Amino acid sequence: MPDGADERRALDFLAELIQALALSTDLRKTLPMALGRIADFMQAEAASLFLVDPVSGLIECRLCVGPVDIVGLKLEVGQGIIGRAVAQNTTQIVRDAQTDARVNVRVDAETGFVTRSIICVPLTTGEGPIGAIEVINRRGGGLFEIEDAVLLETVAAPAALAINNARLVDSLVEQQRIRRELDLARRMQKMLLPKRRRGKFPLIGINLPAHEISGDFYDYFDLPDGRIAFVIGDISGKGLDAAFLMVRVASLLRWSGKDGLAPAQWLARANNESCQTLNEGRFVCALVGQYDSNDGSVVFASAGFPPALLQNAKGFDSFLADGPPLGILPNIEYSERRLTLGDDALYFFSDGAIDARVAGQARIGNEGLRDMIARHTGLAPEPRLRALIGDLKRMQLADDTTVLLLQEPRGAAAQILLDLPFPARAEQLRVVRARLREALDAQGVGPELRDRLVLAVDEACTNIIRHAYCGNCDDTITLRLTRERDMLAFELRDKAPAVDPGKITSRDLGDCRPGGLGVPFIRALMDDWQLEPGTDGKGNVLRMRKRLHSDGDTETNT
Amino acid sequence: MNNECVSETVGDYVVVRLRGEVDLSWSQQVRRAILAALGATGKVGVEMSEVSYIDSSGIAALVEGLQNARSKGQQFGLVGVSKAVMAVLQLARLDRVFPIFPDLDAARAG
Repeated sequence: MPDGADERRALDFLAELIQALALSTDLRKTLPMALGRIADFMQAEAASLFLVDPVSGLIECRLCVGPVDIVGLKLEVGQGIIGRAVAQNTTQIVRDAQTDARVNVRVDAETGFVTRSIICVPLTTGEGPIGAIEVINRRGGGLFEIEDAVLLETVAAPAALAINNARLVDSLVEQQRIRRELDLARRMQKMLLPKRRRGKFPLIGINLPAHEISGDFYDYFDLPDGRIAFVIGDISGKGLDAAFLMVRVASLLRWSGKDGLAPAQWLARANNESCQTLNEGRFVCALVGQYDSNDGSVVFASAGFPPALLQNAKGFDSFLADGPPLGILPNIEYSERRLTLGDDALYFFSDGAIDARVAGQARIGNEGLRDMIARHTGLAPEPRLRALIGDLKRMQLADDTTVLLLQEPRGAAAQILLDLPFPARAEQLRVVRARLREALDAQGVGPELRDRLVLAVDEACTNIIRHAYCGNCDDTITLRLTRERDMLAFELRDKAPAVDPGKITSRDLGDCRPGGLGVPFIRALMDDWQLEPGTDGKGNVLRMRKRLHSDGDTETNT
Repeated sequence: MNNECVSETVGDYVVVRLRGEVDLSWSQQVRRAILAALGATGKVGVEMSEVSYIDSSGIAALVEGLQNARSKGQQFGLVGVSKAVMAVLQLARLDRVFPIFPDLDAARAG
């Protein structure tokens, strides 16, 4: 048994060792020093540190002190003293190595070193042993005792802790590196998608990756004859290899469609090419088409892509796929669809949208998508697509989600009917209502609808004064009324601090209590409304729209 | 038409007469007049035949009056509701919540 002096010496040593390991910023320098000190403290002729390689599962000598260098020596878990210490997570003591069957005497035979006595303790962590420390031969020829094993166990604990911490830090750094690389991959993928065209362009697409990277894509490009070609696709599977494949397939589809080949032949060509290049089990759902702005004709063909949805004044039509996905069987013949778009809207959704679900409910399916589109019909194509994506984002998206919308932009520029700035004061509202009534009367809007629209605008102004400006003030609200064909658009701009649309309180009509009626009124009276931050990030813009029917009035909308 | 809010007592009945366009600029005044009338008597009507416009803040004042009266077992009704007011009451689905009377005599008869 160690006497008091030994114990103090052990405690001092341990304190020093823990401190050295704890303060270490670089274990590659600290650990060799620590191992040397352990060998000295244990009065051992040699000491070595073995770590389990998480990849190979072998135990490898990473450090050693003593006459024989065994760094790099690899052992199986369970093999020899060290292998046993790790496998059983228990201390191994060998008092006479030459007669102990557990001892691997191969190293001795190769080096001439004579192993007499060994202690080996596992480096234990919460997730099991990560390696072992071994000391060999007490200097001066004595044997190691049980007490020596206890001491080595004590010094092994802080070493295991330090090594484990360093590993965690390394894996954290590795995770951050992977995240940075994925982020870069995501941005590069985004760059592959076509830039949104300014001005009047009939195609808009949006891609929402479910994870960092996406297996979905869309594309559009001008053909030599003036038509516009478009593509939307979805690679089977998710993750990195789907994303890499997406890059290849996107360029394949662009290449095979650049000469304006009819969609059916275009798909057939891309299919044959895909069959040669895609790996076993991979396939691509894609839809390709061409649009002619001159006569509004569109022709498209679908290889296993979810149904295209056409929305017109009567409702929806859907078009099922014209053949199987690309990359499964060569020499497939696809059919194609031809229609005149006119003022209608043609939607292409990848199955991520169809599979979207509200928490705990079934997937929304094509029906849900139609309802969603119908809710935003009043909006112009771009805000409508943004509103759809906004709806989808509020759901659970398990898969990449992509939407491509084909619709001829509306012709005539909006006509400005009223542009009225006024101070944000309640007593101004009467004048605002009178001016708005006048402007609506001039458009031939019937009195019933006129009064409803005036009420909605008044409620919106009231909310801006009360909730955005927090009371009467001399800052300005600008009311702008425009008309584009049969669509009336009301825009209210303020300079108040940004309002979070999610925090706007509302309630059901029919819930009888004072207050909170403004937003339900607006919702009931207008076809749609949305609140956005003002341009250059200051203030808010509230947009409300109402479609006029041919007789100037409207159906009752309560 | 100027905005106006006048309370008159007819026997045990108080009628709050509103005129003009009830909006945020004076709906608080309307609210106070209704609550004051309910403080003075057990039977209150809001006369609205000359009201050409009402917004949700005006509707809120009426709803508060109704709830107040109900909690104390008082009578509260709307009298001579104009077409403009009725349209907003219908929109808010409150047209069947308020007792509505064609004129003051009918309202007083309850």
